[in-house]
Amino acid sequence: MDRLIYTSLTAMRGSQARQTAIANNLANAQTPGFRADMAEAQALWLNGSGANARAMSSEEVIGADMRAGTITATGRDLDIAVQGDALLVVQAKDGSDAYTRRGDLQLSPSGLLTTGDGHPVQGGQGPVTIPPADAVIIDVEGRVWIVPVGGDAENPQEVDRLRLATPAGSDIVKGLDGLFRVKGDGILPDDPEARLVTRSIEGSNVAATTALVEMIEASRSWDNQLKLISDARDMDSATASLMQLPR
Amino acid sequence: MSFGALHVARTGLDAQGFRMQVIANNLANVNTTGFKRDRASFETLSYQMMTAPGAPSSAENRYATGLNLGTGVSLGGTSRIDTQGTFATTGNALDIAIDGAGYFQVQMPDGRTGYTRAGNFGRAPDGSIVTSDGKPLQPQIQIPEDATNVSIGTDGTVSATGADGTLTELGRIEIARFANPAGLQAIGDNLLVETQASGAPQVGGAGEEGRGSLRGGMLEGSNVNVVEELVDMIETQRAYEVNSKMIQATDEMMKNAAQTL
Repeated sequence: MDRLIYTSLTAMRGSQARQTAIANNLANAQTPGFRADMAEAQALWLNGSGANARAMSSEEVIGADMRAGTITATGRDLDIAVQGDALLVVQAKDGSDAYTRRGDLQLSPSGLLTTGDGHPVQGGQGPVTIPPADAVIIDVEGRVWIVPVGGDAENPQEVDRLRLATPAGSDIVKGLDGLFRVKGDGILPDDPEARLVTRSIEGSNVAATTALVEMIEASRSWDNQLKLISDARDMDSATASLMQLPR
Repeated sequence: MSFGALHVARTGLDAQGFRMQVIANNLANVNTTGFKRDRASFETLSYQMMTAPGAPSSAENRYATGLNLGTGVSLGGTSRIDTQGTFATTGNALDIAIDGAGYFQVQMPDGRTGYTRAGNFGRAPDGSIVTSDGKPLQPQIQIPEDATNVSIGTDGTVSATGADGTLTELGRIEIARFANPAGLQAIGDNLLVETQASGAPQVGGAGEEGRGSLRGGMLEGSNVNVVEELVDMIETQRAYEVNSKMIQATDEMMKNAAQTL
């Protein structure tokens, strides 16, 4: 049989991976600050002696779509949405800095300020910890103010400032924990000009209609490869019957 | 046969189903005194590395980006949105609303203290102030049988006119506030209980040290905004739909493969 089916197989494997990436985008259409993954196929030429007639297909997630999601006002004091393309600096599980757009902040039992998925938010002196307070206010510049217990509500005190970093000029990729990092290590410079929208939350930037169209495309590409495989089988059986000895 | 997209879409359906339950609960409690709406928060499940960036793609070439596939979404938790509900004047003397932060303390049958924003109190046969389902308010305040014109001051002072027409002070309602009210655990019956996350209650007079003041003859309604919930509901329903579309499409791909090959 023609080796064409193996070329088709690489493309089928690719559409399967792409379908998974699209399913993941759709599943996270409501996750705050989520950035859609973009999957693309690439041609892998097999260089041998003879003509380069075949290229295997290889599916890759080339990066995340960094367009902004919709910002919705929630009225909750610890909800923040980052304006522009700046990123919030958080501490990843391994202790290093990572970046996210997720702004539904929570207060942990120990007073640590974390994102909704549990990553501590980084301030000027490491993770932001909030002492017992009557009120916690985050302003547009990312400064965290508290009204101490029994303190004067008119006179809040600054405890820390959330670090915001700019990805301008750097190549950032999404890690396995869904956080962003600089490609090939490194850190993003802090951006003192970055501003927040307070008491609001940024949604996912997955556009359901686009994702559905991509889904149909991936399904069709799968079907096309199937057709090629079944054509290859027809060709093969035609050859076999042609070469049959006359009875 | 495992097909990633199918399982990823299933996590989406699960999470949207849970969110719908949270919205349904919010809508069901649209008229519950002192109810605070919950918000479902989603988080991405960890990514799976299929091809590492930099892995050799052929003898000379290396993958530039690699293939990290997401594995879906999960409901990380619900957070209570503690915004103020709207006040409604009822004229009933023992209806009390808290204007600002804080909770009433209520003694639960097991001896623990429950915290509530629902101020629709009543008078028990023995004269003590109790919640609508009979749990006594802490600290206990007794209203004499012959008392008329019970009134509640903004600082929590409960006073009543006795049989002889003199105004007497019966006691003072204390309210509790928490460093992290979002950490309180809801146990039903409008009650919340203290957890490690909420911290210890700071009990004191109303209107002091950041505690809210009291409004007698008023009730704090639920902070559920019906329009907001309905919009969330439509959003959730559509998200559910696209995830089931994904299952359908994946199923067709598999069916096609099974029939063609």
